[in-house]
Amino acid sequence: MNLDEYRTLFLVVTLGLALVAAYPALAIVVPFTDDSEEFSEVWLLGPGHTAEDYPVNVSDGEMHNIFVCLGNHMGSSEYYMVYVKFGNITQLFLDSSKPSSLPPLYEFRVFVADEAFSESPVTFGFQNVYIEDNVLIVDNVTMNVPIEDAVLSVDDVIINGMVFPVDASTSWDSKKSGFYFRLSFELWRYDTMLKSFRFHDRVVGLQLNMTGS
Amino acid sequence: MGAYSKLFVLSALLLLLLPVPILLVNASGEDVASLALTEAEETLASTHEAVLEAEQAGANVSGLLDKLNLGAEYLAEAYVWYRLGVSENASRFAGLCYEVVGGVSSEAVELRDEAKRLGDADFVVNMIGSVVGVIVVLVFCSVAWLVFRRRYRRRVLGLRSEVVSGES
Repeated sequence: MNLDEYRTLFLVVTLGLALVAAYPALAIVVPFTDDSEEFSEVWLLGPGHTAEDYPVNVSDGEMHNIFVCLGNHMGSSEYYMVYVKFGNITQLFLDSSKPSSLPPLYEFRVFVADEAFSESPVTFGFQNVYIEDNVLIVDNVTMNVPIEDAVLSVDDVIINGMVFPVDASTSWDSKKSGFYFRLSFELWRYDTMLKSFRFHDRVVGLQLNMTGS
Repeated sequence: MGAYSKLFVLSALLLLLLPVPILLVNASGEDVASLALTEAEETLASTHEAVLEAEQAGANVSGLLDKLNLGAEYLAEAYVWYRLGVSENASRFAGLCYEVVGGVSSEAVELRDEAKRLGDADFVVNMIGSVVGVIVVLVFCSVAWLVFRRRYRRRVLGLRSEVVSGES
């Protein structure tokens, strides 16, 4: 190497060291863009804190435990609300593009720090589950309505010890052989610009095969 | 009009008037609950904004979020009771939310100001440190270059003179 090449090498090394020394100031002055995606998560866990053993077959008076979990990846702490809704399959479809028009029964409100998770226990059950008009009178003869034509109604939903009167009924689902309802959990997020909650495009739920008492 | 007739008319009037105060009491109970919910909701939201500011300033807000969570829990319960038509419980839980969250906003402002002061101090230290660091690097490298160049020339010149003397 000749002297000019050594000079170039010295300049490069000097520039590199100067950049390292200037990094603390550069980090403040130069805005480094954060390209990480901002999103929130909502999911359900079964009674054992795992993604299994979710309640499916439920009957009048039984209580079931699940957990509603939230994850915040929005870049700052967030104020979330989860609406719990109950209805039959036509009333409640798990569409994450819009919230269900059914009124909420129960709600959770929680603040979650950035990159943190939150977990809320939910104990739920149903009361006054019955088959409507299960007898027919034809030509003065009383006969039971076939299960395929029967309608199952639920009058009360119990969530975390509170009883909520509901008006939900469903007919027999011959494909899945059961009376199916849904318990859904809608995620809403507080919008600091609008100063109100907005649906956050996340819905999870349980499909429940109900049995009367 | 006989005594019985008077009694009957009076009773009928009283019966007609009876639902009015009951309705008024119910309406006022609902109004109180609604007002309490609105106040608690607004307080919680504005406190959250203050906490967000503190967080953005670099403060550790985990303790404040715990308090907000307690307030949020009360407020959620208040709304559930309100929807069930139990105004008394709704007002009580909204009041609890208001109590829990009441002082958090000022704490958040203190934390934000403290974080800003620390941030400003960090900024000055970082700027001065960087400037001094760059100067030190430049001076050190310049001196190193000068020393290196002198030695290099001495060595190369020294080698040349030996070769010259060898040839002659």
